[in-house]
Amino acid sequence: MAGVTFEHVSKIYLDGTRAVSGVNLDIADGEFMVFVGPSGCGKSTALRMVAGLEEISEGVLRIGDRVVNHVAPRDRDIAMVFQSYALYPHLSVYENIAFSLRLKKVPKAEVDRRVHEAARVLGLEDYLKRKPRALSGGQRQRVAMGRAIVRQPQAFLMDEPLSNLDAKLRVQTRAEIARLQDELGVTTIYVTHDQVEAMTMGDRVAVMRRGELQQVASPQELYDHPVNLFVGGFIGSPSMNLLEATLERANGSLAVALGSQRITLPEDALALRPALRRYEGRQVVLGIRPEDLEDASLRTDSPTDARLKGRLELVEALGSELVVHFAVDAKPAVTDEVRELAQDAGSTTVGRELTGSGATLVGRFDPHSRVHEGDEPEVFVDARELHFFDTETGLGIYDDDTKATKGAGS
Amino acid sequence: MFLSVWMVYPTVRTVLRSLYSDKGDRFVWLSNYKRLFTSDTLFTAIKNNALWVLIIPAAVTAVGLVFAVLVERVRWAVAFKVAVFMPLAISLFAVGVIWRIMYQQDPDRGAINAALAGARGFVSHDGVLSRARPSSDALEGSTKRGFTLKQPVRAGGVAVLGLTAIRTPEIPEDAADAVRPEPLQGGIAGVVWRDFKAGGGTPGRVERGELGIPGATVELRNADGKKVDSTETKPDGTFAFDKVADGQYRVSVGSGTFAEPFRGVNWLGDRLITPAIMFAYIWVTAGFAMVIIGAGLASIPRDVLEAARTDGASEWQTFRRVTVPLLAPVLTVVFVTQIIGVLKIFDLVLAIAPGSSTDDAATLAYVMWQRSFSGQNLFGLGAAISTFLLVLFIPFLIINVKRFRAEARG
Repeated sequence: MAGVTFEHVSKIYLDGTRAVSGVNLDIADGEFMVFVGPSGCGKSTALRMVAGLEEISEGVLRIGDRVVNHVAPRDRDIAMVFQSYALYPHLSVYENIAFSLRLKKVPKAEVDRRVHEAARVLGLEDYLKRKPRALSGGQRQRVAMGRAIVRQPQAFLMDEPLSNLDAKLRVQTRAEIARLQDELGVTTIYVTHDQVEAMTMGDRVAVMRRGELQQVASPQELYDHPVNLFVGGFIGSPSMNLLEATLERANGSLAVALGSQRITLPEDALALRPALRRYEGRQVVLGIRPEDLEDASLRTDSPTDARLKGRLELVEALGSELVVHFAVDAKPAVTDEVRELAQDAGSTTVGRELTGSGATLVGRFDPHSRVHEGDEPEVFVDARELHFFDTETGLGIYDDDTKATKGAGS
Repeated sequence: MFLSVWMVYPTVRTVLRSLYSDKGDRFVWLSNYKRLFTSDTLFTAIKNNALWVLIIPAAVTAVGLVFAVLVERVRWAVAFKVAVFMPLAISLFAVGVIWRIMYQQDPDRGAINAALAGARGFVSHDGVLSRARPSSDALEGSTKRGFTLKQPVRAGGVAVLGLTAIRTPEIPEDAADAVRPEPLQGGIAGVVWRDFKAGGGTPGRVERGELGIPGATVELRNADGKKVDSTETKPDGTFAFDKVADGQYRVSVGSGTFAEPFRGVNWLGDRLITPAIMFAYIWVTAGFAMVIIGAGLASIPRDVLEAARTDGASEWQTFRRVTVPLLAPVLTVVFVTQIIGVLKIFDLVLAIAPGSSTDDAATLAYVMWQRSFSGQNLFGLGAAISTFLLVLFIPFLIINVKRFRAEARG
């Protein structure tokens, strides 16, 4: 087993498009690294460069200590799991799993032992004689996994291996893969566009946008300290609410003005983000996580200067929580990043909100809340958990500028 | 209805007709079939048909596969495809005419032999002379082995190699009067000339009016018979080996001097006629096979090939263990179609084989036509041949129908 190192790795196509651009990344031995980003962000290309299926235009790629830029896929000692599974349709499950061992001329008894071992781990023992076409999607996925683990490679490369499965199976297989990786301890690069998969599976998550790494961090770190607007908006479901806001000084303390409404920032919020002071009187992009919004009637102790008024447009009762959509008198933030995120989500709300007067916020309320559609309740905002981004650069506003730029490209 | 008029009735009628005499007035049972299997020409035809069936379907499929794979990787793929596919647009009879002309024996008329003559020119030169004899017993050998001076020569000596019985038109135009060269310090000088003078002369001596032989190959061998040097003569027939080590040498006029000119391969003769027709047939059909197999190739998912490569397969192993098995259905279609096409091969034989070798090139369909319709009017025998061909077709038709049914069922 070995780590994988990217040094300024780029992929430039003949027409000059940069699919992957100057990626620097150190993946430790045994680490589970997830590449995540909207479609077309270069994550699959990056993975295919590790596999050797895509030529590396610039930079150096190492597996372990070996520079593999010009090493053929077959000599890289990696195993890849494809989105389509790419099983050999003419071979039985057994032969599919045994394929790489046969190529290596492993003795028959050893092949048999390893195939059965892999089949046992994956629960495929009863299907070994079947052809792939006689298997269900989940079983095919497991055969693809079996083909990878039987080789005991330096690294697993997985290209959206779960996206062809139905939702329930996906959750189950997700856990299986994570467990398997944990047991085998093989370095894994996992590509997905599903940020839930990224958050739940990865030791670390690399968020990519337009071929560039945005931030590489543990899932919690990504969630709590997104380095920029894009990461903030991409990670989290439902996603972060992004609004245009102005920082004003009122009654001696800093407050966020959203249209006609105001949220006072407590001292501890400022202590976490000292750089905010420099934005006094300026416009910023305000980010509010849905769970930081709550029905104010359930939080009677909450300060009155951290409440928003809005009209409930939609209430989705999920049992464990209420997902509420409510309109407030504020402008949604519309930047390139936001548009791209909306496009990726397949939503056109940005367009609609541009023409409308207000913005729609999404909140997660306690199920004990008795709000209904059409109500105009007061909504409590947890002001300590607000996120702020620079309108121009999209970078998160934290304790100082140097820290704010950290992460992108590290 | 149409099927019964145009297919069933003629079939039944032909089978019945084969049981009657050539004039159709006598019922002769199976005696036509007895003739079929006892006549020499017919035996050759059956043998040829067997050869066609054994060789051509496999060859066409293989060539088509190779082209289809190559076309995916070359530039100008479209131009290449068009070039390979084009012959299919020509009527088979016209193809036959084209190849018959190209197969002409005389290199000045047949393109193939001209090409061969050209290619031969790169490898070996035609000799200047076709025949000659030594003019005196100072020389031994033949035109096949070359003529060698019996007396060994040392450095400083002069080698005199007189030839005679040379036809005047064969003497190169640039030949000048022969000159006996001066001895060379530390080297061996000499002359090769036509030791013949109208009105007589002394054999073995260079005399006025005798011509040198330019362009003759002269070889120098040491005492062990090993060739140490070789050179060509000048217009006056002289040659020189400038630096020669001590010891005795044998000088000879090399056999290259007498190489016979290329007369062309007799493609249309009795031995090569069937392979020649087969080659023309492959030339026509390879394009068809290439296009069908190319379509099959394009439908193989790229993922599966990439999976094989990351599984450790070389390009060849990927081709053999994945591409070819996945192409198997397409290859079968091409193969079976070719068997049927080859069983009835007729027009190429008629067009290519000249009268003298028709019996050697004959195939069943050709003999059927020849016996019935070319003036021999042996209708009973012709019908018997047709029936025999029909019987040969049946298994392949059944295979085809079965396969279509299987495909329809999915």
